[in-house]
Amino acid sequence: MAFIKLNDLEIEVEDGTNIVEAARQNGIEVPHYCYHPGLTRPANCRMCLIETYGTPPGAPPGTIAPDRQLATGCTTTVRTAPPERKYEEKYDAIIRTDSPRVIKAREDILEFLLVHHPLDCPVCDQAGECDLQDFSHRHGRDKSRYVEVKNVPPKKDLGPDVLLYSTRCIVCTRCVRFCQEVSGTGELGLINRGSHDEIDIPRSHEGNPIQVLDNKLAGNVVDICPVGALISKDFLFKSRPWFMDKEDSICTGCSVGCNITVEYKEDGVYRVKPRFHEDINKHWMCDDGRLGYHYVNREDRLQLPLKKVDNEQSVTQWADAINIIKEKLSDVEADDIVVIGSAQGTNEDNYVLQLFAHDVLNTTQLGLFGQLPGEEHKYPQFTIESDKNPNTAGARTILGSANGNVVLENDALWEKVSNAKVVYLVSGIPDRILQDAEKAALENVEFLIVQDILPSEVTELADIVLPGTTFAEKDGTFTNSTGWVQRIRKTIDPPGEAQLDWQITQQIAKQLGGEINYSFAGEISIAISEHVEGYEVATHQNIGDTGVKLS
Amino acid sequence: MVQEKRILYEHLDVPNINTFDVYRQHDGYKRFEKAIADYQPDDVSKMVMDSGLKGRGGAGFSTGLKWSFVPKDIEPRYLCCNADESEPGTFSNRYVLEKNPHLLIEGILICCYAMGIETTYVYIRGEFTLGKKMLDAALEEAYEQGYLGENIKDSGINVNIYSHPGAGAYICGEETGLIESLEGKRGQPRNKPPFPAVEGVFMKPTVVQNVETLCNLPFIVDKGVEWYTEMGPTYGDARFDPPKPDPNTGTKLYCISGDVNEPGVYELELGLTCSELIEVAGGLRGEEVKAVIPGGSSAPILTNYELDTRLDFTSLTLAKSMLGSGGIIVMNETRNIVDCLLNIMKFYAHESCGQCTPCRWGTPWVRDIVQRIADGEGRQEKITRPKFGIAEGGRWGDTGETEEIYEDLDLLESVANNIANVDTMTWNTICVFGIAVSWPAVSYMRKFRPEFEATIREGKLTTLSVEDATVPPEENYAFQQRIIPKEMSELG
Repeated sequence: MAFIKLNDLEIEVEDGTNIVEAARQNGIEVPHYCYHPGLTRPANCRMCLIETYGTPPGAPPGTIAPDRQLATGCTTTVRTAPPERKYEEKYDAIIRTDSPRVIKAREDILEFLLVHHPLDCPVCDQAGECDLQDFSHRHGRDKSRYVEVKNVPPKKDLGPDVLLYSTRCIVCTRCVRFCQEVSGTGELGLINRGSHDEIDIPRSHEGNPIQVLDNKLAGNVVDICPVGALISKDFLFKSRPWFMDKEDSICTGCSVGCNITVEYKEDGVYRVKPRFHEDINKHWMCDDGRLGYHYVNREDRLQLPLKKVDNEQSVTQWADAINIIKEKLSDVEADDIVVIGSAQGTNEDNYVLQLFAHDVLNTTQLGLFGQLPGEEHKYPQFTIESDKNPNTAGARTILGSANGNVVLENDALWEKVSNAKVVYLVSGIPDRILQDAEKAALENVEFLIVQDILPSEVTELADIVLPGTTFAEKDGTFTNSTGWVQRIRKTIDPPGEAQLDWQITQQIAKQLGGEINYSFAGEISIAISEHVEGYEVATHQNIGDTGVKLS
Repeated sequence: MVQEKRILYEHLDVPNINTFDVYRQHDGYKRFEKAIADYQPDDVSKMVMDSGLKGRGGAGFSTGLKWSFVPKDIEPRYLCCNADESEPGTFSNRYVLEKNPHLLIEGILICCYAMGIETTYVYIRGEFTLGKKMLDAALEEAYEQGYLGENIKDSGINVNIYSHPGAGAYICGEETGLIESLEGKRGQPRNKPPFPAVEGVFMKPTVVQNVETLCNLPFIVDKGVEWYTEMGPTYGDARFDPPKPDPNTGTKLYCISGDVNEPGVYELELGLTCSELIEVAGGLRGEEVKAVIPGGSSAPILTNYELDTRLDFTSLTLAKSMLGSGGIIVMNETRNIVDCLLNIMKFYAHESCGQCTPCRWGTPWVRDIVQRIADGEGRQEKITRPKFGIAEGGRWGDTGETEEIYEDLDLLESVANNIANVDTMTWNTICVFGIAVSWPAVSYMRKFRPEFEATIREGKLTTLSVEDATVPPEENYAFQQRIIPKEMSELG
C-alpha cells in the first residue's frame, strides 16, 4: 500500500493505482474524458491534469516543491517508495488536484473542448448524463472567447444501433480503443488529421461503408462515449435520462449474468446499461442483452389466464383457472404428473415450484425448460455464452434439492412428458420456438398447464395459460454459469393481472392443501439458504449489489 | 572573421564520396574498425558521455546520458535514426543523406557497437526521395563490402539497417511519433514516461538519434574526447554548488536562410553569436536585421538587439529561445512579422496530429486569430459588455456591472499560453508540439507588438521600421529575463 498526500488528505491506496482512481476512492473528483478504467490510457484529453510534488534539480535534499509540469492523473501511478525517497519521511507521493494551476488548466482545456462543440444540449440525447456538460458546469468557464467558424463534420450511421454525431465528438478515442482492445474487431478509427479528426468506419472512396460497426459488443461504445457523439438508435429521442428511474439487475440474455442497470418509467423499460462487476462482465455487456429487453414492453403480453374450451383459448378469471387446475391435479396419480421449471425463472420461483412438486404433489419427476442454445461468441475481453438462459445452473440445483428429486432435461424430459397425463410447465421464455420432438411430446399431454409471459408455440398447446412475469417485474436471484448468485430487482408493475411466478405456484399449492406461505422473495431466499446445499450464503441480504460466489 | 570548421562536412564536396571506394579512401569505416579494435563497447559509451555530445535533433539532450538509460538486459534493443528532418528552415541532414550516406552508416555502426544493438531503422522523411535512394545504394554497398550484416569483418558483431520512408507528417519527427509511425500506426506521439530508451520500437528499449548526432560519433572515436571538448564552450550550471559542467561541445550544422547573401549549411563550432553567423553567411541582404529565428520555425524569435546571443543549446535556452535543429532564418527590415507568424501558424495548424485537446483545437484557433489580424479584421479596441451573474435578489441576470473582453492580441497570447505556457515553460499537451506553436506566437507578438497593433489599427498588413516595430529592451520579457551563462573556466 502506498501512503500519499492528496490535497490535504492522507490516504492509503494500492500500489499501482492511478491518481484518478485514488481520488475517486476518496471522494475527490478528477475530471477526465479519455480515461476509462477498462481501456488503455492515451492521456489525450488532458483534462485530468494534476500537480505532483518533488525535489527540484539543484535544490537541497528534502526540499519539496510543485513539479514544473502538470501531470495527467490517469497515467500517474503511485507506488511504495524506498524509505530514503519518501517525502517528509512518510509520503510516497504528494499530489494536489485543487491548486490554482490545476483549476486554470481545467478551464483552459474545457474552453478548447468546446470551441467546435455545437452546444446543442437541448436536442442531444446525452444531456443530463454528459461529462462535457457536467464538467463544464463544475470546472469550466461560463463563456467562450471563440468567434471563428466552427467545424461541422457530418452525422454518420456507423452500424445497426449506433449513430455518430461528429460535431459533438471530442476525439477522446474511447470507442476506437474499445473496438481494438475489448471487442478486437477494430471497426472504428480516426480519419483526417488535427482539428479535422473524425471517428469513422472503413469506407470506400465513394463513401460507402466497407465494414460496419456490427459486432455484438458495439453498443458499449455508446455507453463509454463521454459526450453525445455516439448515440444508440434504440434509445434516440425516447426519454431524458433524468425522467427515468434506475434499478440494478441482471441480464437474462445468457448464462454469463452481466450486471445491468434497468432504466424505466411507469410505462415500461426504456433501456438497459451494463454495470461494473470485476469478475463477471467488467464494464461491458453484449447487444443481445442490451436490446433484448423489448419483449417486456410488448403489447401482446399475457395479462389474464386463458383456458381452452373446445380447442379455443379464451380469457378467464384467476379463481376459475386455479379451480380447473385443482380439479385436474386431484384426479391424477403422482406418477403421471411432470412439473417443469424454467431456466429463465429465478431461484425463488424454482424453489417454490420444487416445494410444490415434492411436498404437495408428491412427485419426484421434475424437468428443466429453457431457451434453445445459441452461438458462443468469444472476444478478447468478453465472452457471450451459448446457453441463453440466465439461471440454468441455479434452476438445476434448486429443482433437484429435495430428496429423491430427479431433474430431467432435453430428450429424457420429453420422453417423460409424452407419457404424462398432466404437465405443469413454467416457461417465461420469450419467443420460444418448439422443436419437433418437444412439440410432439407436449401435444401428447392430456392436460397442459403453461405459465408464460407472451403468446408462443408453447402457450398455443396449453389447456390453461397462466400469465407470469419477466425479470423486470420481480425480485429474485439468478445463478450464473460460474456460480455467482446475483439479484434482480422489480422495476415496473406486471401487466394486467399477471402475477409473480412463485405466487401463482403458491396459490395452486394452497388450493391443493399445501402449506407454502411466503410473502416476499427475500423470505424464500432465506429458505433456500437453509435447505439447499451450497446456497448457505445466498440470502438477499448477503448478495447485495455485487452478488456472492458459491463455493 | 570566423572560419567554418568542417568535420562532418569535410569530404562532402569530394566527387563520388557517396560510393564506398571513394569514402574508403577518405578514412571511411576506419574509425569503426578502430572502435572495435581498440575499445570495448562501454569505452565508446563513456567517450560519448565525456565528449558532452548533445542530441542535434532539437531537444539538445545529452547523448551519453540517453544511452545510459537503456536497460542492457532486455533483448532486442533498437536504434532508430531520425532522418525525418521537417522543421521549416532546417536542411542539414538531407545533405548528409544525399552526399555522404556512408558517414551515417559508420555512425550507426559505432552506436550499435557501443549499445550492443543489432537492428537499426532509419526513418527518412518521405519527401527525401534522393536521400533515400542514396542511402539505399550505400546500404547495399556496405552489405556487399561486409560492413553490414552478420559477423561484420569477423568481429562477431551483427548489424542490420533498414530504411523506412515517412508519409509526410511533421509530427513523425518527434521521437515517439516516429516510433508509432514506424510500427505502422498513426503518427501520434506517445506519453512520456516511459521514454523510448526504456520502451520504444515494439515496446523494446530504443535509442533514437538524429542523423547529425550519429555522424559525430566516428570523429569522437577517431580523434578522442579531448579534441572534441576543445570545440565549443562548456558552461557551468549555477543552480548547483559547485557548478555542474554543462558542455556545448563540438560543431553544429547551422542552416542559414532568409535575408543573407550566401544562405546554406555552415558547419561551425557551437557558441558563436548570431551576428557572427550572419557574417559567415555572407552578411545581411538589406539594411538592417529585423529579427532572427534561431532554431527552426518553432523557436522564439530574437530581435535585433538580441543578436549577441550565443548560438548554443544553453545560451539560447537561458535567453528564452532554443537552438532546436539549428535552422536559422534571418529577416531584414522589409519583412512583416505578422505575415511571418501567419505563415508559421498555417504550417503548425496543418501539421497538428490532433491527438490531444489543446493542440488539436488550439492551434487552428491561433492561426485563425492571426489570419484575422493579417486580413485587417483584428478587433481593435477592448470591448465592454454587460456582465452576467448573480444579480440583485439572488437571481441570474444582468449584474449592472461591465466587464472587458480581451482584444485579439490578448486573446492570441492567452490561447497560445493555454496550449503551452511560454513564461513557465510548461505545456498541457502530450508532446512539445504545443510549445512549438505557442513559442513563436507569443514571442513574435510580444517582441513586435507595435507591428501587430499597427496592422490592426490600419486594417491591413503594415510593416514598420525596425526601430518602431520592435518593443524596447526594457519591455522585452525575454531580454529582461535573459541569463548569460558563464563558462566553467570563468567560474574557476
